[in-house]
Amino acid sequence: MATLKDVVVRRPIAATIRLTVPAGGARPAPPVGPALGQYRLNLMAFCKDFNARTQKYKPDTPMAVTITAYKDNTFEFIVKSPSVTWFLKNAAGVESGSGRPGHVVASSITVRHVYEIAKIKQADPSCKHLSVEAICKSIMGTARSMGIQIVKDL
Amino acid sequence: MFGRLQHLRLLRCLPAVQIPTQPFPPIAVPPNSFSVAPPAAALQRIFCPRLFSLYKLRRRRPSERVPFCSRSTQTNEAAARAYLSVRIRCRKRDADMLSESLLCFGASSTSMDELSDSHDLDEIWITCIFAVNQDVHTCISHAIGSIGLNYGPNYEVSVGEECDWVKGVQETFHPVEVTAGLWIVPKWREPPDLQATNIFLDPGMAFGTGEHPTTKLCLMLLRKLLHGGEQFLDYGTGSGILGIAAVKMGAASSIGIDIDPQAVISARQNIALNDMDSSKMLVYLVGSEADSSCPGAETNMGPEERTLLNLELKSAKGKFDIIIANILLNPLSELAKDIVSYGKPGANIGLSGILSEQVQQIKEIYSQYLDDISASEMEGWACLHGIRKENLTFPIYRSKDKIMKKDMGFLPD
Repeated sequence: MATLKDVVVRRPIAATIRLTVPAGGARPAPPVGPALGQYRLNLMAFCKDFNARTQKYKPDTPMAVTITAYKDNTFEFIVKSPSVTWFLKNAAGVESGSGRPGHVVASSITVRHVYEIAKIKQADPSCKHLSVEAICKSIMGTARSMGIQIVKDL
Repeated sequence: MFGRLQHLRLLRCLPAVQIPTQPFPPIAVPPNSFSVAPPAAALQRIFCPRLFSLYKLRRRRPSERVPFCSRSTQTNEAAARAYLSVRIRCRKRDADMLSESLLCFGASSTSMDELSDSHDLDEIWITCIFAVNQDVHTCISHAIGSIGLNYGPNYEVSVGEECDWVKGVQETFHPVEVTAGLWIVPKWREPPDLQATNIFLDPGMAFGTGEHPTTKLCLMLLRKLLHGGEQFLDYGTGSGILGIAAVKMGAASSIGIDIDPQAVISARQNIALNDMDSSKMLVYLVGSEADSSCPGAETNMGPEERTLLNLELKSAKGKFDIIIANILLNPLSELAKDIVSYGKPGANIGLSGILSEQVQQIKEIYSQYLDDISASEMEGWACLHGIRKENLTFPIYRSKDKIMKKDMGFLPD
């Protein structure tokens, strides 16, 4: 798939659409439907393409997608891995972060979890240039802001 | 909840621009399969004089939409298909951050029109879509707070309904020629070549509009394999396009199965649209392994009927000459045994809906069932074709105590 940087010069862009869609579960219904429908994009093609590309993820993982719609009703999209907060919530086994981060601890995870999350995030186009260490540090910062403690061993 | 909806209605009354998402189409929407409640009762309520009690009962639909959308808003299904559309006006440099934070705080999607279009103004519009029961105002205020915006952007909320965007998308479909002499024509267009094999489709909510490379690959494979008089199984039929095409190209009969009730409805509609005898193509709704009770209210099938159909399907195992499964990588991998068990020895089996990089994985799984696996590719998508091996043994169904094996080869039971 061509990256956004290659094509942005070539074709006139109509809009940029950001969506969260469960992996393998794109359907021509809200949220996908109205968002793409208003720019007259081919819903079926997007759903099929998106589902095929997210087969390797566990079903119903919320994936962030950025779609660039062109004026000629064609589109390109980039699928990003799920957000760090989602990974942390899953790893910690909590539904939401703590209400008072810094004071109240919601849950805790191990350094091994952080490393695993960093490895997944490294495949993301926006984090490619960072070292695993740098990504780990940013994940730890996010965890701290959610009230999730990081311990050596559980 | 009602208080919040009244709030929204007040917003609409303010002198703000009412955002029409699509120009209304000149054709009336036929009573489509999405409405579950009886239309008569719905229309009666819509034309009722304006009573304040109606506000409390359910959300009142804007009157100008009544002649075009005859869907009722009474059922949960219909409510689930409506959505809230919010247009926010903000400065260009904040737009990116604002759309990201809106997504974090509960918007289903945000879209931004291209910056270069509005070069005169310093502000651009962001359109967000929310689910119907969400608190839009809290979400927006959280989003603004989290990125530290020092001004409160103007925004307008409107309720959008499914028919708004579905019609717009359907207008983009044109007749497409898959191979020489085979056209797929949307229901509302004229076929360009009346002599060719024309398949009329209502490209609705089910998969299979004919434009996707995998559909084209499967149709080309079908054309190559069909010689007349075969039994065809469309595994994962979607809109029914492959089954219909098979019958039109000479198959004796076809059967389509799918786990999505929407697909079954869509396929049945398309069969009727093509003036096909319903005995030539049957469509079944099968339960996926996960849920034995499908949310299939629209198909009006009770559990007894479903069990009957499943028994019929089981008896049809090992009878089909051609099977094509155009689904996705994971279902194809998990259901390999099921798919192959429907074919007779030496049957042609086609598999698609996979990307070129996923071909190797599927080949490995299916090599124990199929011989001569070959792949054809188009635009990054692939379609595999293989011949079912002779002498495969499958456990057909389990009784509680033992697994009964049926030998599909030459030996008698």
